Amino acid sequence: MSMLAIELRKEKRTGVIPVLLSVGLLGAGYAFLNFAVRKDTLLGLPLAPMDVLLTQLYGMIMILNMFGIVVAACMIYNMEFKGYAVKKMYMLPVRVPGMYLCKFLILSTLLFVAVALQNLALMRIGSTDLPQGVFEMGTLIKFAGYSFLTSMPVLSFMVLISSRFENMWVPLGVGVAGFLSGMALADSSNNLLMIHPFVIMLKPAVAMSAQPDIAVVIAACMETSVFLGAGLWMAKKLRYE
Amino acid sequence: MDYIITTEQLTKKYKNFTSVNNVSLHIRKGSIYGFLGPNGAGKSTTMKMLLGLTAPTKGSFTIDGRHFPEDRLAILKETGSFIESPSFYANLTGRENLELIRRILGLPKDSVDDALELAGLTEFGNRLARKYSLGMKQRLGLAGALLGRPPILILDEPTNGLDPSGIHEIRNLIKSLPGLYNCTIMISSHMLSEVERMADDIGILNHGRLLFEGSLDDLRRSAKQAGMSADNLEDVFLTMVDQDNAARKQRAQL
Repeated sequence: MSMLAIELRKEKRTGVIPVLLSVGLLGAGYAFLNFAVRKDTLLGLPLAPMDVLLTQLYGMIMILNMFGIVVAACMIYNMEFKGYAVKKMYMLPVRVPGMYLCKFLILSTLLFVAVALQNLALMRIGSTDLPQGVFEMGTLIKFAGYSFLTSMPVLSFMVLISSRFENMWVPLGVGVAGFLSGMALADSSNNLLMIHPFVIMLKPAVAMSAQPDIAVVIAACMETSVFLGAGLWMAKKLRYE
Repeated sequence: MDYIITTEQLTKKYKNFTSVNNVSLHIRKGSIYGFLGPNGAGKSTTMKMLLGLTAPTKGSFTIDGRHFPEDRLAILKETGSFIESPSFYANLTGRENLELIRRILGLPKDSVDDALELAGLTEFGNRLARKYSLGMKQRLGLAGALLGRPPILILDEPTNGLDPSGIHEIRNLIKSLPGLYNCTIMISSHMLSEVERMADDIGILNHGRLLFEGSLDDLRRSAKQAGMSADNLEDVFLTMVDQDNAARKQRAQL
């Protein structure tokens, strides 16, 4: 707990917290604006109204979240490398894997808040703009959980990458490359491609139904655990040289 | 003899390069140990091994009877350190940087003010660390090492980047610390003249090998025995290093 408090203190003036909160607010704003402008077009699509609400707006929201995660993960470790602060941490009685875990938890919580803000906007739209009696709270909550879970592999992967490279441009480049390759591969029906964390995050955005895909959920949970485990292991075993 | 730090055949190899070669150090409790050597001699690598920043290829060491890596947290809790260059969070002020360290070490709140005062940074405590001059960053690094007045201090060229008055001030501070609260200090430098003014014992390292270990008087004696003038220890140090370099060259040619 004290390690978490220390990590939160370190975030001061880094912009990590504002970045992900802004992503949440921007996503919510985008949902309101898009639905206000394209309401009739969207509801005219040959899809169930709940599917329209959740899948047709999610593409842009997901891209915002993805870039928010990439940028925040780069920033959360850049401040450690900037003034060689991480070297001091290695010379203090600090459990380095604990520090890694706290950074992971901070980003996960911030992403959760961002997803919650975006889904609050969708809830508001659903209850006011969808035809009477069509809005299903349960479906929205399930999709919110699904979109959060499918974003976690990217978050877990990006924290791992940014913890290993002192130059912030490397993880940033990996994030952009991940996004571009993920976009190219997301439509494929080959399940093996779900090994790519960015493909998993894109899955709900390319689906036409708001129903979670169990295979995607399982792959997301496994990848999140694998990247987190790898990051913790590296934090424990690899020394600062 | 009551040694607080001992190393046993400590060795660090990087592929084909041996940075530290079978170094066995003996640092007395309550003393100031000057660790001397030219640039690239392996001083920083040795200190990094003592702090767990890099793993030894061979050998072992104990600090206050404790071993790495099993007792890592206990060793680091009682060791203040400053290695190579100052380490700090650029986005935080000097005071906030020290506050983080204070919380990690579980020290009382007033220890931050004490460390700022010791390092001569009191009036700059609320300035962002990234806006500090090189000398101020150096002092911040020192303040971080001195926080809570730890019983062991490992300082790697702590006066680098300081102006002459700063060097004088820090040198006097380091010299006064064992008397102030009975700590042991291991300090590295490439200048014997600097170490001579504060150290009780010295270790001379060249190309990873320990050429000499003992008190300054021992060094004077061994210089006299070798036919060198013992008045200028700087010359003794340089001659020792040159002789070792020449012997190395000869060995390489064979």
